[in-house]
Amino acid sequence: MEELRTTKWKFSWPPKFQKWGLGERRNFKIGMLFLLPWTIGFLAFTLYPMLASLVYSFTIYHARQPLEWNSIKNYTDLLTDDLFWTALYNTLYMVVIGVPLTLFTSFFCAVLLNLKVRGQAYYRVIYFLPSIVPTVASTILWLWILNPQAGIMNTLLGYVGIDGPNWMTNPSWSKPGLILLGMWGMGNTIIIYLSGLQDVPVSLLEAAELDGANWWQRLWNITIPMVSPITLFNLVTGTIFMFQYFAQAYVFRGFQGLGYPLNSTLFYSVLLYQNAFQWLKLGYASAMAWVLFIIILVCTLLMLKISDRFTYYAG
Amino acid sequence: MTSANVPTQYPDVNAKSESNEARLRSRNRKVRGIFQSFMSHALINFVGLFFLVPFLWMLITAFKSNQDIFHTPPRWLPYDNLTVNINGEDYPLYDVQTPDGPKQLAALKIVEGVGTFVDPASPEKTFEYEIQQGETKIAEPVMHVSFRWQNFPDAMNRASRPSIDASFWVYFKNSLIIAFFTIIGTLLSNAPVAYAFARLKFPGRDVLFVIVLATMMLPYQVTMIPLYLLFNNFLHWGDTFLPIIIPAFFANAYDVFLLRQFFRTIPEEMCDAARVDGASEWQIFTRLVLPLSTPVLATVTVFTFLWAWNDFTGPLLFLTSPRNFTMALGLQDFQSQRTLIWNQLMAASTVFTIPIIIAFFFAQKTFIQGIKLTGSKE
Repeated sequence: MEELRTTKWKFSWPPKFQKWGLGERRNFKIGMLFLLPWTIGFLAFTLYPMLASLVYSFTIYHARQPLEWNSIKNYTDLLTDDLFWTALYNTLYMVVIGVPLTLFTSFFCAVLLNLKVRGQAYYRVIYFLPSIVPTVASTILWLWILNPQAGIMNTLLGYVGIDGPNWMTNPSWSKPGLILLGMWGMGNTIIIYLSGLQDVPVSLLEAAELDGANWWQRLWNITIPMVSPITLFNLVTGTIFMFQYFAQAYVFRGFQGLGYPLNSTLFYSVLLYQNAFQWLKLGYASAMAWVLFIIILVCTLLMLKISDRFTYYAG
Repeated sequence: MTSANVPTQYPDVNAKSESNEARLRSRNRKVRGIFQSFMSHALINFVGLFFLVPFLWMLITAFKSNQDIFHTPPRWLPYDNLTVNINGEDYPLYDVQTPDGPKQLAALKIVEGVGTFVDPASPEKTFEYEIQQGETKIAEPVMHVSFRWQNFPDAMNRASRPSIDASFWVYFKNSLIIAFFTIIGTLLSNAPVAYAFARLKFPGRDVLFVIVLATMMLPYQVTMIPLYLLFNNFLHWGDTFLPIIIPAFFANAYDVFLLRQFFRTIPEEMCDAARVDGASEWQIFTRLVLPLSTPVLATVTVFTFLWAWNDFTGPLLFLTSPRNFTMALGLQDFQSQRTLIWNQLMAASTVFTIPIIIAFFFAQKTFIQGIKLTGSKE
């Protein structure tokens, strides 16, 4: 012990660094100076919170009281938490139905916008504009449009003889309402698809046309395979977005409690927010966050793995 | 040699019928072309309505009068009471079923179902009628198409709740402040980091870059709770803009990636030439690379503005007192009240949207380019 205290501890670089030449060391120092903003940010706002939340997830923590070790009980409690399963179901509903539906319709819109029609530029602006309306504004707007009494959605449906549902008060129609809202603002996805469509080689399409392939055959056999990497990209980003779906659901309940009607808009992130900031179960909410992270990670890797067989990378 | 002996093919006798067939075929193709063009126009317009009508409905509602909002069925144009000026004051006109037949009278006041009316032509004499007599309504207000501009000042001068010391102008100002500093922080912090990853060679660079990309995968929910505790309980930044602005000064994966991709397109030889001339890396970065990068810096600026202006979760977590609300938070708060004043809500939403629309029309190319850059590059 005495020896430990009296020995002068001199900081020495790890062996690998010692092997670096003078130039490498200089470059390393310059590089690290340039990276300084990111390094500080990464340590303070990413790495530290990650580790802290991992620790919290094994504790009972109510912000003001000290941490209390809870082993893996937060995680096992999740399995028996009805609200957790409701939230997971609602989120998966949006992922399984909302994401593919949005992808399909935005591809369809991109195909429309790629047609040679007069005023093409104006149509592109019109299709894109809703996506830049701020989330809170567009959600409130759709609350108003889906209003059962004075909303225009049910009025328009009435014109064609459809008795529109009570979008906001009927638990089985609230999520389709949110999907509609998402589809209204899918301009980004359309633009990405459109740029993909413009990259499809014209020579390939013309060759197919000469061989007698009709429009549908060209679309199915050339265009769709050619944009499949973009479909994968949109699928992955759309899925990640849907798992974290929050602001729209938070606003969509109106003046009712979170999850209205009947927990049908209680999505994963909404329940997490509720646990953390309304019920102050910070440990439990942290466990939820890590489960979410793992779900997203597994889903993304799974999609990338499976997609190998379905995506075509030219060149 | 043999070709000289082969007789030249002259148009034969069937030529006429063939040209007939060709004409028919070309006409068929033309008809099909017109049909296809008609169908594409019809389809693109029909789908376009889905995007356009809600947008227009926001504007139309923003101009509606209180009386018109809940009119069923909804009317496609904003209506307001037709008023008449009597002795310097405006009174609404009503169609009144008087005992002497229907008349247009001005309503002075309506108290407990009894209306006091005067004839605008002879305002001295007042009449009193019960509005509802049994099943029939005696008096109906006269409405006309009228855009109520007053909704905009009304919406912006009020706060999200009654009797709080703020207004939507304050929220608007707060949103601008946050967006401004977020943009400054993003530009200052991301560019050097991206330059290091794009053009500097140093040991460990690629490992670090993989870590940068990996942080994109991390959902905000994981870091949210410790960050909340860090900013609120440790740094005591609760209810200030700091927890929203400060992280922007420390680079983020998306912008680093975007800028790096652009910096890599700048010819390396130029940087090397500058290096040979004795320029330091910092000089190369500030004097050579940055001036060449205005397009991508514009993209980052526009997208950061869009993101900061739109952000809801950050303000929701950290801003508690109404005078610090942003537009997003204020609108949500206004909307969560039981008294839903849809015309003012839509007017405030319109004001909230206008800066982005302006940004879009000034920087349309930058917008589209940015989406493609972040979207289609692997």
